[in-house]
Amino acid sequence: MSQTSRFTRARQLTSTVLPGRRPDDYADLVAGRLRKIAAAHSTGMLPFSGRSDGVIYFRDGRVVYAESSRTPGPDTHAYPVPAEDLPPLSRIAAILAIIEPTVDATLELLSAQSRYAKFRPSRVPVPGLASDVSLEALLAEVARRQRVLSQLSTVLTADTALARNPHIYPDSIRVSALQWALLIRVRHGSTPRDLAWDLSRSVFGTTAEVYRLVVRQLLSAASDPACTREPGLVAMSFVRAVSVEKGDTMLTLNAAHAPGGTD
Amino acid sequence: MILDEAEALLDPVSDIEGFMLACLVDASTGMVLASRKDHDDISLPTAAAGAADIANVLALLAGELPVDGLEDVMVTFRRQLYVIRLVRQDPEPQILLLVILDRSRVNLAMARREIRSFCASFAA
Repeated sequence: MSQTSRFTRARQLTSTVLPGRRPDDYADLVAGRLRKIAAAHSTGMLPFSGRSDGVIYFRDGRVVYAESSRTPGPDTHAYPVPAEDLPPLSRIAAILAIIEPTVDATLELLSAQSRYAKFRPSRVPVPGLASDVSLEALLAEVARRQRVLSQLSTVLTADTALARNPHIYPDSIRVSALQWALLIRVRHGSTPRDLAWDLSRSVFGTTAEVYRLVVRQLLSAASDPACTREPGLVAMSFVRAVSVEKGDTMLTLNAAHAPGGTD
Repeated sequence: MILDEAEALLDPVSDIEGFMLACLVDASTGMVLASRKDHDDISLPTAAAGAADIANVLALLAGELPVDGLEDVMVTFRRQLYVIRLVRQDPEPQILLLVILDRSRVNLAMARREIRSFCASFAA
């Protein structure tokens, strides 16, 4: 490789993280790269490095698997490679055990502005019951999740330090098994991402579940006294996350608590 | 829709009289897993997101009241009937089935029974 081409390559890689570039540009750039790989029906891997290292694996232009250093991988103990004649629901649950970490990792890679490197052919890992996903479906799901996280960001993010409410009376609360598993693992300063790793669950799903516990005032943000009160008028709404997609503007009623907002 | 191959699994539900749309949704994340629809004028993402929101609100209610084990929810609009049923009683993952039916054609009792038996066979 010549000196010029190395310089050009370095410029291409760093151009995605230069200060002042709008994050949307980066997302479009990555999405464009992914769409080219999908359109070419390529098989191989697209590595990412930077704030979040990771890989997206393709087979015949469809996404088979993705992993990120900041999101847990599939819990292979919970779903060992099953037989093909499983009941439909168990089969879907087993596939979901692979798809969910894949969506979670892709969300992280596309949101963390990691730099992507050269796509190269490789063997595709099969961590469980394999099922591929169309790129457009994956990107649509990632965009929806980004809008949900945007709603939640006025209260918490995946990296918000949490504190448990010291005044919980067990007789008066009813929580799901998952919520209980989260509550007993929260130590002062734990973040939703820490809890996701503890439970081998997706960071997105854990953040949403932690938000539900914050709404019920069983948890609060450790560092922000404002968040020890009610989480405000902005509630997590999956409907609002998809209606924004159609061109609406997301309504933020407690902008003062939003990152960068005024108190 | 994430799981293309799961679409065929919803065939039995599409045989219900008055069928308009069905989808499987992961309640905790709101992700649509599979879908089947006969009418293009219904937005699948919005309907699925609404089902997940309803399930979450009811989970909040169940946390405050002495009720146990959500089975299904029926929402009646003038022209449509929405049936939301928890397919899987296990804690994780919580998968919802949303079925939208044409109210002028559906037999509610029969539809509910067919949805219930579908969910039972789905999990068996």
